[in-house]
Amino acid sequence: MSVDMSVAVGGMRLRGPVLAASGTFGYGTEVPLLERRALGGMVSKGIFMRARDGTPPPRIAETPGGMLNAIGLQGPGVEALVRDFAPQWAEWDFPVFVNINGETAAEYGELAARLDAVPGVGGLEINISCPNVEQGGLYFGNDPRAAASVTEAVRRRTKLPVWVKLTPMVSDIGVIARAVEAAGADALCAINTFVGMSMDLNAYKPRLSFRTGGLSGPAIRPLAVHLAHQAARAVRIPVIGIGGITRAEDALEFLVAGCSAVQVGTATFVNPRAIAEVHDGIAAFLAAKGMGSLSDLPRYLPRD
Amino acid sequence: MFLLDAAITGRRQVARDMFVVSMAAPEIAASVRAGQFVNLAWSGGPLLRRPFSVYRADGDWIEIVLKAVGQGTAQLLAMTPGDRVSCLGPLGHGFEIGAGPKSVVLVSGGLGVAPMPLAAREARSLGMRVTWVHGARSAGDLCSEFDGDEVVWATDDGSNGFRGTAVAAAPGADLVLACGPNRMLSAVAERWPEALVAVETYMGCGTGVCLGCAVPLERGGFDRACKEGPVYRAADIEWSSLPSHLSYAVTA
Repeated sequence: MSVDMSVAVGGMRLRGPVLAASGTFGYGTEVPLLERRALGGMVSKGIFMRARDGTPPPRIAETPGGMLNAIGLQGPGVEALVRDFAPQWAEWDFPVFVNINGETAAEYGELAARLDAVPGVGGLEINISCPNVEQGGLYFGNDPRAAASVTEAVRRRTKLPVWVKLTPMVSDIGVIARAVEAAGADALCAINTFVGMSMDLNAYKPRLSFRTGGLSGPAIRPLAVHLAHQAARAVRIPVIGIGGITRAEDALEFLVAGCSAVQVGTATFVNPRAIAEVHDGIAAFLAAKGMGSLSDLPRYLPRD
Repeated sequence: MFLLDAAITGRRQVARDMFVVSMAAPEIAASVRAGQFVNLAWSGGPLLRRPFSVYRADGDWIEIVLKAVGQGTAQLLAMTPGDRVSCLGPLGHGFEIGAGPKSVVLVSGGLGVAPMPLAAREARSLGMRVTWVHGARSAGDLCSEFDGDEVVWATDDGSNGFRGTAVAAAPGADLVLACGPNRMLSAVAERWPEALVAVETYMGCGTGVCLGCAVPLERGGFDRACKEGPVYRAADIEWSSLPSHLSYAVTA
Protein backbone atom coordinates (compact mmCIF):
# COMPACT_ATOMS: atom_id res chain seq x y z
CA MET A 1 0.00 0.00 0.00
CA SER A 2 1.39 3.38 -0.89
CA VAL A 3 1.09 5.95 1.85
CA ASP A 4 0.64 9.68 1.28
CA MET A 5 3.52 11.13 3.29
CA SER A 6 3.04 14.75 2.26
CA VAL A 7 2.47 17.39 4.93
CA ALA A 8 1.37 21.01 4.98
CA VAL A 9 3.76 23.15 6.99
CA GLY A 10 3.18 26.87 7.23
CA GLY A 11 1.65 27.45 3.83
CA MET A 12 3.97 24.96 2.12
CA ARG A 13 3.40 21.41 1.08
CA LEU A 14 6.35 19.10 1.75
CA ARG A 15 6.45 15.73 0.03
CA GLY A 16 7.52 14.07 3.25
CA PRO A 17 7.71 14.87 6.96
CA VAL A 18 11.44 14.29 7.45
CA LEU A 19 13.90 17.13 6.99
CA ALA A 20 17.64 17.41 7.51
CA ALA A 21 18.44 19.60 10.51
CA SER A 22 20.70 22.60 10.31
CA GLY A 23 24.36 21.97 11.00
CA THR A 24 24.14 18.26 10.27
CA PHE A 25 23.93 18.35 6.50
CA GLY A 26 26.27 21.17 5.51
CA TYR A 27 24.77 22.89 2.47
CA GLY A 28 23.54 19.57 1.14
CA THR A 29 26.24 19.45 -1.50
CA GLU A 30 28.69 17.06 0.15
CA VAL A 31 26.38 14.63 1.87
CA PRO A 32 27.51 11.06 1.31
CA LEU A 33 25.08 8.50 -0.02
CA LEU A 34 22.36 11.13 -0.26
CA GLU A 35 18.92 9.68 -0.86
CA ARG A 36 17.00 12.73 -2.00
CA ARG A 37 13.73 10.87 -2.47
CA ALA A 38 13.34 10.60 1.30
CA LEU A 39 13.94 14.26 2.05
CA GLY A 40 10.95 16.46 2.74
CA GLY A 41 13.38 19.33 2.85
CA MET A 42 16.70 20.45 4.21
CA VAL A 43 17.88 23.23 6.48
CA SER A 44 21.31 24.66 5.67
CA LYS A 45 24.15 25.13 8.09
CA GLY A 46 23.56 28.39 9.98
CA ILE A 47 24.71 31.45 8.10
CA PHE A 48 25.67 34.94 9.19
CA MET A 49 25.97 37.99 6.97
CA ARG A 50 29.77 37.65 7.04
CA ALA A 51 32.12 34.68 7.00
CA ARG A 52 32.99 33.21 10.39
CA ASP A 53 35.91 30.98 11.35
CA GLY A 54 34.08 29.20 14.17
CA THR A 55 35.58 28.08 17.47
CA PRO A 56 39.00 26.48 17.99
CA PRO A 57 39.20 22.72 18.65
CA PRO A 58 38.17 20.68 20.49
CA ARG A 59 34.70 21.35 19.16
CA ILE A 60 32.91 18.11 19.96
CA ALA A 61 32.76 15.70 22.86
CA GLU A 62 30.75 12.50 23.03
CA THR A 63 28.63 11.92 26.12
CA PRO A 64 26.33 9.03 26.99
CA GLY A 65 23.81 8.76 24.15
CA GLY A 66 24.73 12.17 22.84
CA MET A 67 27.32 14.68 21.86
CA LEU A 68 28.27 18.20 22.79
CA ASN A 69 29.22 20.54 20.01
CA ALA A 70 30.51 24.07 19.85
CA ILE A 71 31.23 24.75 16.20
CA GLY A 72 30.48 28.46 16.50
CA LEU A 73 28.56 28.80 13.25
CA GLN A 74 31.59 28.46 11.02
CA GLY A 75 30.53 29.49 7.56
CA PRO A 76 31.31 31.42 4.40
CA GLY A 77 28.81 34.26 4.86
CA VAL A 78 25.64 34.93 2.93
CA GLU A 79 27.19 36.15 -0.32
CA ALA A 80 29.17 32.93 -0.78
CA LEU A 81 26.08 30.91 0.09
CA VAL A 82 24.05 32.73 -2.56
CA ARG A 83 26.84 32.38 -5.12
CA ASP A 84 28.04 28.82 -4.47
CA PHE A 85 25.10 26.86 -3.10
CA ALA A 86 21.74 28.42 -3.97
CA PRO A 87 22.13 27.74 -7.72
CA GLN A 88 22.54 24.04 -6.93
CA TRP A 89 19.52 24.09 -4.61
CA ALA A 90 17.41 25.60 -7.38
CA GLU A 91 17.84 22.33 -9.28
CA TRP A 92 16.72 20.11 -6.41
CA ASP A 93 13.31 18.54 -5.96
CA PHE A 94 12.92 19.51 -2.29
CA PRO A 95 12.97 22.91 -0.61
CA VAL A 96 16.09 24.23 1.12
CA PHE A 97 15.65 26.45 4.14
CA VAL A 98 18.48 28.74 5.12
CA ASN A 99 19.21 28.93 8.85
CA ILE A 100 19.87 32.63 9.50
CA ASN A 101 21.78 34.25 12.36
CA GLY A 102 22.59 37.75 13.46
CA GLU A 103 23.93 39.75 16.36
CA THR A 104 21.05 42.23 16.18
CA ALA A 105 17.43 42.04 15.04
CA ALA A 106 18.38 44.37 12.18
CA GLU A 107 21.03 41.91 10.97
CA TYR A 108 18.45 39.12 10.80
CA GLY A 109 16.27 41.48 8.77
CA GLU A 110 19.13 42.27 6.38
CA LEU A 111 19.79 38.58 5.83
CA ALA A 112 16.11 37.96 5.14
CA ALA A 113 16.07 40.76 2.57
CA ARG A 114 19.24 39.44 0.91
CA LEU A 115 17.81 35.92 0.60
CA ASP A 116 14.25 36.91 -0.27
CA ALA A 117 14.27 36.54 -4.05
CA VAL A 118 17.21 34.16 -4.42
CA PRO A 119 16.32 31.14 -6.58
CA GLY A 120 16.96 27.96 -4.64
CA VAL A 121 16.08 29.42 -1.25
CA GLY A 122 12.78 27.89 -0.25
CA GLY A 123 12.41 29.47 3.16
CA LEU A 124 14.16 30.79 6.23
CA GLU A 125 14.73 29.21 9.61
CA ILE A 126 15.49 31.92 12.15
CA ASN A 127 18.07 30.66 14.61
CA ILE A 128 17.43 32.34 17.93
CA SER A 129 18.79 29.38 19.81
CA CYS A 130 22.43 28.75 18.96
CA PRO A 131 24.29 28.28 22.24
CA ASN A 132 27.73 28.62 20.64
CA VAL A 133 28.10 32.26 19.65
CA GLU A 134 29.13 35.12 21.91
CA GLN A 135 26.60 37.58 20.51
CA GLY A 136 23.01 36.95 19.43
CA GLY A 137 21.82 33.38 19.20
CA LEU A 138 20.48 32.16 22.47
CA TYR A 139 20.08 35.70 23.80
CA PHE A 140 17.16 36.29 21.45
CA GLY A 141 15.64 32.90 22.13
CA ASN A 142 14.98 33.17 25.83
CA ASP A 143 13.29 36.54 25.91
CA PRO A 144 9.83 36.70 24.32
CA ARG A 145 10.16 40.36 23.32
CA ALA A 146 13.58 39.83 21.72
CA ALA A 147 12.34 36.68 19.97
CA ALA A 148 9.35 38.57 18.61
CA SER A 149 11.44 41.53 17.47
CA VAL A 150 13.77 39.26 15.47
CA THR A 151 10.81 37.44 13.95
CA GLU A 152 9.17 40.74 12.98
CA ALA A 153 12.40 42.06 11.50
CA VAL A 154 12.58 39.00 9.26
CA ARG A 155 8.86 38.86 8.47
CA ARG A 156 8.88 42.47 7.24
CA ARG A 157 11.71 41.79 4.78
CA THR A 158 10.65 38.55 3.10
CA LYS A 159 7.79 36.73 1.44
CA LEU A 160 9.49 33.39 2.07
CA PRO A 161 8.11 30.98 4.66
CA VAL A 162 9.60 31.91 8.03
CA TRP A 163 10.28 29.22 10.59
CA VAL A 164 11.71 30.01 14.01
CA LYS A 165 13.98 27.52 15.78
CA LEU A 166 13.45 27.62 19.52
CA THR A 167 15.83 26.93 22.36
CA PRO A 168 14.98 24.47 25.12
CA MET A 169 16.84 26.68 27.62
CA VAL A 170 13.71 28.52 28.80
CA SER A 171 11.36 28.19 31.73
CA ASP A 172 8.22 28.12 29.53
CA ILE A 173 8.61 27.41 25.83
CA GLY A 174 4.92 28.22 25.30
CA VAL A 175 5.55 31.89 26.09
CA ILE A 176 8.28 32.16 23.43
CA ALA A 177 6.22 30.11 20.97
CA ARG A 178 3.22 32.41 21.29
CA ALA A 179 5.40 35.51 20.99
CA VAL A 180 6.96 34.44 17.69
CA GLU A 181 3.62 33.20 16.37
CA ALA A 182 2.15 36.63 17.03
CA ALA A 183 5.17 38.21 15.33
CA GLY A 184 4.40 36.42 12.08
CA ALA A 185 6.22 33.07 12.10
CA ASP A 186 4.80 30.45 9.73
CA ALA A 187 6.07 27.52 11.78
CA LEU A 188 8.20 26.69 14.81
CA CYS A 189 11.12 24.28 15.05
CA ALA A 190 11.46 22.75 18.48
CA ILE A 191 14.10 22.33 19.69
CA ASN A 192 17.73 23.35 19.31
CA THR A 193 20.41 21.78 21.53
CA PHE A 194 20.59 21.97 25.31
CA VAL A 195 23.56 23.79 26.78
CA GLY A 196 25.86 21.28 28.43
CA MET A 197 29.38 20.84 29.73
CA SER A 198 31.80 17.99 30.22
CA MET A 199 35.15 17.98 31.99
CA ASP A 200 38.48 16.55 30.88
CA LEU A 201 39.78 14.73 33.95
CA ASN A 202 43.35 14.76 32.69
CA ALA A 203 43.51 18.47 31.98
CA TYR A 204 41.09 19.58 34.74
CA LYS A 205 39.19 21.83 32.38
CA PRO A 206 36.22 21.61 30.00
CA ARG A 207 36.55 19.14 27.12
CA LEU A 208 35.41 21.84 24.68
CA SER A 209 37.46 24.95 23.99
CA PHE A 210 34.25 27.02 24.12
CA ARG A 211 33.71 25.53 27.63
CA THR A 212 30.06 24.72 26.93
CA GLY A 213 28.39 23.09 23.94
CA GLY A 214 25.02 22.11 22.59
CA LEU A 215 23.88 18.63 23.60
CA SER A 216 22.18 16.58 20.89
CA GLY A 217 21.47 12.95 20.20
CA PRO A 218 19.21 10.25 21.68
CA ALA A 219 19.99 11.46 25.21
CA ILE A 220 17.76 14.53 24.73
CA ARG A 221 14.84 12.91 22.92
CA PRO A 222 12.29 12.64 25.76
CA LEU A 223 13.08 16.22 26.79
CA ALA A 224 12.63 17.33 23.19
CA VAL A 225 9.34 15.47 22.72
CA HIS A 226 8.00 17.19 25.81
CA LEU A 227 9.11 20.66 24.73
CA ALA A 228 7.88 20.21 21.14
CA HIS A 229 4.55 19.05 22.56
CA GLN A 230 4.36 22.08 24.87
CA ALA A 231 5.11 24.37 21.93
CA ALA A 232 2.49 22.66 19.78
CA ARG A 233 -0.12 23.07 22.49
CA ALA A 234 0.64 26.76 22.79
CA VAL A 235 0.22 27.78 19.14
CA ARG A 236 -1.91 27.22 16.03
CA ILE A 237 0.99 27.27 13.57
CA PRO A 238 2.77 23.98 12.77
CA VAL A 239 5.63 22.73 14.90
CA ILE A 240 8.55 20.80 13.47
CA GLY A 241 9.94 18.43 16.08
CA ILE A 242 13.70 18.07 16.57
CA GLY A 243 15.81 16.27 19.12
CA GLY A 244 17.50 12.90 19.17
CA ILE A 245 15.60 11.21 16.36
CA THR A 246 17.46 8.18 15.06
CA ARG A 247 14.62 5.81 14.13
CA ALA A 248 11.13 6.05 12.65
CA GLU A 249 9.60 5.35 16.07
CA ASP A 250 11.37 8.42 17.47
CA ALA A 251 9.97 10.61 14.69
CA LEU A 252 6.51 9.14 15.22
CA GLU A 253 6.67 10.15 18.88
CA PHE A 254 7.10 13.79 17.85
CA LEU A 255 4.31 13.49 15.28
CA VAL A 256 1.90 11.95 17.78
CA ALA A 257 2.93 14.66 20.26
CA GLY A 258 1.50 17.24 17.88
CA CYS A 259 4.32 18.00 15.43
CA SER A 260 3.62 18.32 11.71
CA ALA A 261 7.09 17.28 10.60
CA VAL A 262 10.48 16.46 12.08
CA GLN A 263 14.14 17.19 11.54
CA VAL A 264 16.85 14.56 11.84
CA GLY A 265 20.29 15.77 12.86
CA THR A 266 22.93 13.96 14.87
CA ALA A 267 21.74 10.58 13.56
CA THR A 268 23.01 11.55 10.11
CA PHE A 269 26.54 11.80 11.53
CA VAL A 270 26.38 8.17 12.53
CA ASN A 271 24.27 6.76 9.75
CA PRO A 272 24.31 8.52 6.38
CA ARG A 273 21.08 6.69 5.57
CA ALA A 274 19.26 7.78 8.75
CA ILE A 275 16.85 10.17 7.03
CA ALA A 276 15.81 7.60 4.44
CA GLU A 277 15.38 4.94 7.11
CA VAL A 278 13.24 7.26 9.26
CA HIS A 279 11.11 8.24 6.26
CA ASP A 280 10.61 4.68 5.09
CA GLY A 281 9.95 3.49 8.64
CA ILE A 282 7.18 6.04 9.13
CA ALA A 283 5.55 4.94 5.88
CA ALA A 284 5.82 1.29 6.91
CA PHE A 285 4.32 2.06 10.33
CA LEU A 286 1.35 3.89 8.80
CA ALA A 287 0.79 1.10 6.28
CA ALA A 288 0.93 -1.54 9.01
CA LYS A 289 -1.68 0.42 10.97
CA GLY A 290 -3.90 0.59 7.87
CA MET A 291 -3.49 4.34 7.38
CA GLY A 292 -3.30 5.66 3.84
CA SER A 293 -1.94 9.04 4.76
CA LEU A 294 0.26 10.65 7.38
CA SER A 295 -2.66 12.96 8.13
CA ASP A 296 -4.53 9.88 9.44
CA LEU A 297 -2.05 9.52 12.30
CA PRO A 298 -3.81 10.25 15.59
CA ARG A 299 -2.30 13.17 17.50
CA TYR A 300 -2.26 13.70 21.23
CA LEU A 301 -2.74 17.44 21.46
CA PRO A 302 -5.16 18.59 24.13
CA ARG A 303 -5.48 22.36 23.90
CA ASP A 304 -4.43 24.49 26.84
CA MET B 1 32.72 6.23 -0.38
CA PHE B 2 31.12 2.99 0.69
CA LEU B 3 29.00 1.95 3.65
CA LEU B 4 29.66 -1.72 4.23
CA ASP B 5 28.56 -4.35 6.68
CA ALA B 6 32.03 -5.78 7.27
CA ALA B 7 32.83 -9.08 8.95
CA ILE B 8 35.81 -9.15 11.29
CA THR B 9 38.26 -11.69 9.94
CA GLY B 10 41.12 -11.71 12.41
CA ARG B 11 43.25 -10.05 15.04
CA ARG B 12 46.93 -10.17 15.92
CA GLN B 13 49.10 -8.42 18.47
CA VAL B 14 51.87 -6.18 17.16
CA ALA B 15 53.06 -4.47 20.36
CA ARG B 16 52.18 -4.22 24.03
CA ASP B 17 48.40 -3.53 24.11
CA MET B 18 48.43 -2.86 20.36
CA PHE B 19 46.52 -4.99 17.87
CA VAL B 20 45.80 -5.23 14.17
CA VAL B 21 42.20 -6.09 13.34
CA SER B 22 41.23 -7.18 9.86
CA MET B 23 37.83 -7.06 8.22
CA ALA B 24 36.26 -7.91 4.88
CA ALA B 25 35.67 -4.67 2.98
CA PRO B 26 36.30 -5.37 -0.72
CA GLU B 27 35.25 -2.01 -2.20
CA ILE B 28 37.32 -0.11 0.34
CA ALA B 29 40.32 -2.42 -0.03
CA ALA B 30 40.27 -1.80 -3.77
CA SER B 31 40.22 1.99 -3.55
CA VAL B 32 41.88 3.10 -0.29
CA ARG B 33 45.01 5.28 -0.44
CA ALA B 34 47.66 5.66 2.24
CA GLY B 35 46.49 8.06 4.96
CA GLN B 36 42.80 7.57 4.31
CA PHE B 37 40.60 6.21 7.06
CA VAL B 38 37.43 4.29 7.78
CA ASN B 39 34.77 5.30 10.30
CA LEU B 40 33.38 2.36 12.25
CA ALA B 41 30.18 1.75 14.17
CA TRP B 42 28.88 -1.45 15.67
CA SER B 43 25.89 -2.78 17.52
CA GLY B 44 26.08 -1.88 21.20
CA GLY B 45 28.93 0.54 20.51
CA PRO B 46 29.21 4.24 21.25
CA LEU B 47 26.91 6.77 19.57
CA LEU B 48 29.46 8.24 17.19
CA ARG B 49 31.57 6.28 14.75
CA ARG B 50 35.25 5.80 15.49
CA PRO B 51 37.83 6.74 12.86
CA PHE B 52 40.80 4.49 12.08
CA SER B 53 43.54 4.90 9.49
CA VAL B 54 43.70 1.93 7.15
CA TYR B 55 46.85 0.01 8.07
CA ARG B 56 47.05 -2.48 5.25
CA ALA B 57 44.67 -3.52 2.49
CA ASP B 58 44.78 -6.23 -0.13
CA GLY B 59 42.35 -8.39 -2.03
CA ASP B 60 39.03 -8.00 -0.25
CA TRP B 61 40.25 -7.10 3.24
CA ILE B 62 41.49 -4.08 5.14
CA GLU B 63 43.27 -3.80 8.47
CA ILE B 64 43.26 -1.20 11.22
CA VAL B 65 45.57 -0.89 14.19
CA LEU B 66 44.37 0.07 17.64
CA LYS B 67 44.84 0.02 21.39
CA ALA B 68 42.09 -0.24 23.98
CA VAL B 69 41.94 3.40 25.06
CA GLY B 70 38.26 3.53 25.96
CA GLN B 71 35.07 1.48 25.96
CA GLY B 72 34.67 1.58 22.18
CA THR B 73 38.11 0.27 21.34
CA ALA B 74 37.78 -2.36 24.08
CA GLN B 75 34.57 -3.57 22.41
CA LEU B 76 36.28 -3.72 19.02
CA LEU B 77 39.13 -5.75 20.45
CA ALA B 78 36.68 -8.17 22.06
CA MET B 79 35.15 -9.04 18.70
CA THR B 80 35.75 -12.42 17.15
CA PRO B 81 35.83 -13.46 13.50
CA GLY B 82 32.36 -13.22 11.98
CA ASP B 83 31.27 -10.32 14.19
CA ARG B 84 30.20 -7.37 12.08
CA VAL B 85 30.96 -3.68 12.01
CA SER B 86 29.47 -0.92 9.89
CA CYS B 87 32.40 0.39 7.90
CA LEU B 88 32.22 3.78 6.15
CA GLY B 89 35.07 4.71 3.86
CA PRO B 90 37.52 5.32 2.48
CA LEU B 91 37.40 8.84 3.92
CA GLY B 92 39.62 11.92 3.77
CA HIS B 93 42.56 12.85 1.61
CA GLY B 94 45.57 10.62 2.07
CA PHE B 95 49.26 11.18 1.39
CA GLU B 96 49.79 12.62 -2.09
CA ILE B 97 52.82 10.57 -3.09
CA GLY B 98 53.69 11.75 -6.57
CA ALA B 99 56.44 10.57 -8.85
CA GLY B 100 59.71 12.50 -8.59
CA PRO B 101 61.27 11.95 -5.16
CA LYS B 102 63.87 9.19 -5.10
CA SER B 103 63.66 8.53 -1.37
CA VAL B 104 61.02 8.75 1.32
CA VAL B 105 61.29 8.57 5.08
CA LEU B 106 58.21 7.38 6.96
CA VAL B 107 58.27 8.69 10.53
CA SER B 108 55.77 7.28 13.00
CA GLY B 109 55.21 7.35 16.72
CA GLY B 110 53.13 4.69 18.48
CA LEU B 111 49.76 4.18 16.79
CA GLY B 112 50.94 6.68 14.18
CA VAL B 113 52.36 3.65 12.43
CA ALA B 114 48.82 3.12 11.08
CA PRO B 115 49.07 4.70 7.60
CA MET B 116 52.70 3.69 6.98
CA PRO B 117 52.44 0.22 5.42
CA LEU B 118 50.21 1.57 2.65
CA ALA B 119 52.52 4.59 2.27
CA ALA B 120 55.53 2.29 1.93
CA ARG B 121 53.74 0.25 -0.72
CA GLU B 122 52.75 3.31 -2.74
CA ALA B 123 56.21 4.88 -2.48
CA ARG B 124 57.94 1.69 -3.55
CA SER B 125 55.62 1.31 -6.52
CA LEU B 126 56.89 4.75 -7.61
CA GLY B 127 60.47 3.54 -7.34
CA MET B 128 61.40 5.27 -4.09
CA ARG B 129 63.83 4.00 -1.52
CA VAL B 130 61.86 3.67 1.73
CA THR B 131 63.27 4.41 5.18
CA TRP B 132 61.01 3.25 7.99
CA VAL B 133 61.44 5.17 11.27
CA HIS B 134 59.28 4.12 14.19
CA GLY B 135 59.38 5.32 17.76
CA ALA B 136 57.62 4.49 21.01
CA ARG B 137 58.11 4.77 24.74
CA SER B 138 59.93 1.49 25.18
CA ALA B 139 61.01 -1.58 23.18
CA GLY B 140 57.80 -3.49 23.98
CA ASP B 141 55.69 -0.62 22.67
CA LEU B 142 57.24 -0.64 19.20
CA CYS B 143 55.07 -2.06 16.44
CA SER B 144 56.81 -5.27 15.45
CA GLU B 145 55.76 -5.00 11.79
CA PHE B 146 57.69 -2.79 9.39
CA ASP B 147 58.30 -2.26 5.71
CA GLY B 148 61.41 -0.39 4.57
CA ASP B 149 64.69 -0.71 2.73
CA GLU B 150 66.18 0.70 5.91
CA VAL B 151 64.59 0.52 9.37
CA VAL B 152 65.34 2.85 12.28
CA TRP B 153 63.95 2.26 15.77
CA ALA B 154 63.69 4.91 18.47
CA THR B 155 62.63 4.56 22.10
CA ASP B 156 62.31 7.18 24.80
CA ASP B 157 64.20 4.93 27.22
CA GLY B 158 66.79 3.67 24.73
CA SER B 159 65.67 0.06 25.20
CA ASN B 160 65.75 -0.44 21.44
CA GLY B 161 67.60 1.63 18.83
CA PHE B 162 68.01 5.36 19.12
CA ARG B 163 67.38 6.86 22.56
CA GLY B 164 64.98 9.70 21.88
CA THR B 165 62.21 10.54 19.49
CA ALA B 166 61.54 9.12 16.04
CA VAL B 167 61.80 12.66 14.66
CA ALA B 168 65.32 13.06 16.09
CA ALA B 169 66.33 9.60 14.87
CA ALA B 170 65.13 10.07 11.30
CA PRO B 171 67.55 10.73 8.44
CA GLY B 172 66.61 13.21 5.77
CA ALA B 173 65.00 12.24 2.45
CA ASP B 174 63.44 13.82 -0.60
CA LEU B 175 60.01 13.26 0.91
CA VAL B 176 59.01 12.98 4.58
CA LEU B 177 55.69 11.48 5.67
CA ALA B 178 54.79 11.44 9.36
CA CYS B 179 52.04 10.32 11.68
CA GLY B 180 51.85 10.24 15.46
CA PRO B 181 50.74 12.36 18.39
CA ASN B 182 50.22 15.99 17.37
CA ARG B 183 53.09 17.13 19.57
CA MET B 184 55.38 14.85 17.61
CA LEU B 185 54.02 16.23 14.35
CA SER B 186 54.68 19.79 15.44
CA ALA B 187 58.33 18.74 15.91
CA VAL B 188 58.21 17.33 12.38
CA ALA B 189 56.94 20.70 11.17
CA GLU B 190 59.93 22.45 12.79
CA ARG B 191 62.43 20.16 11.14
CA TRP B 192 60.70 19.57 7.78
CA PRO B 193 58.09 22.23 6.99
CA GLU B 194 57.38 20.46 3.69
CA ALA B 195 56.68 17.10 5.31
CA LEU B 196 53.23 15.58 4.85
CA VAL B 197 51.68 14.76 8.21
CA ALA B 198 48.49 12.90 9.13
CA VAL B 199 46.90 14.63 12.14
CA GLU B 200 44.67 13.30 14.86
CA THR B 201 41.49 15.10 15.96
CA TYR B 202 38.23 14.31 17.62
CA MET B 203 35.80 13.48 14.86
CA GLY B 204 32.03 13.49 14.56
CA CYS B 205 30.71 12.37 11.19
CA GLY B 206 33.90 11.74 9.22
CA THR B 207 32.16 12.96 6.08
CA GLY B 208 32.52 16.73 6.25
CA VAL B 209 29.14 17.85 7.54
CA CYS B 210 29.54 18.29 11.31
CA LEU B 211 32.65 20.53 11.27
CA GLY B 212 33.72 18.89 14.53
CA CYS B 213 37.24 17.92 13.42
CA ALA B 214 38.51 21.46 12.92
CA VAL B 215 42.20 21.83 12.07
CA PRO B 216 43.59 25.35 12.64
CA LEU B 217 45.46 26.63 9.61
CA GLU B 218 48.52 28.87 9.51
CA ARG B 219 46.76 31.17 7.02
CA GLY B 220 43.84 31.54 9.46
CA GLY B 221 40.55 29.71 9.84
CA PHE B 222 39.90 26.00 10.08
CA ASP B 223 39.25 23.16 7.81
CA ARG B 224 38.19 19.58 8.30
CA ALA B 225 40.51 16.72 9.17
CA CYS B 226 37.96 14.33 7.67
CA LYS B 227 37.67 16.05 4.31
CA GLU B 228 40.60 18.30 3.38
CA GLY B 229 42.75 16.25 5.79
CA PRO B 230 43.79 14.23 7.65
CA VAL B 231 47.04 14.74 5.70
CA TYR B 232 48.50 18.24 5.60
CA ARG B 233 51.71 19.96 4.61
CA ALA B 234 53.29 20.37 8.04
CA ALA B 235 53.88 24.11 7.65
CA ASP B 236 50.20 24.74 6.85
CA ILE B 237 48.96 23.88 10.34
CA GLU B 238 48.80 26.37 13.17
CA TRP B 239 50.21 23.88 15.68
CA SER B 240 49.71 25.91 18.86
CA SER B 241 45.92 25.78 18.40
CA LEU B 242 45.71 22.06 17.61
CA PRO B 243 45.24 20.04 20.80
CA SER B 244 48.55 18.27 21.40
CA HIS B 245 46.95 15.35 23.15
CA LEU B 246 43.54 13.73 22.85
CA SER B 247 42.06 12.10 25.90
CA TYR B 248 39.86 9.41 24.51
CA ALA B 249 37.85 8.11 27.39
CA VAL B 250 34.20 8.94 26.99
CA THR B 251 32.36 9.99 30.11
CA ALA B 252 29.92 7.18 30.68
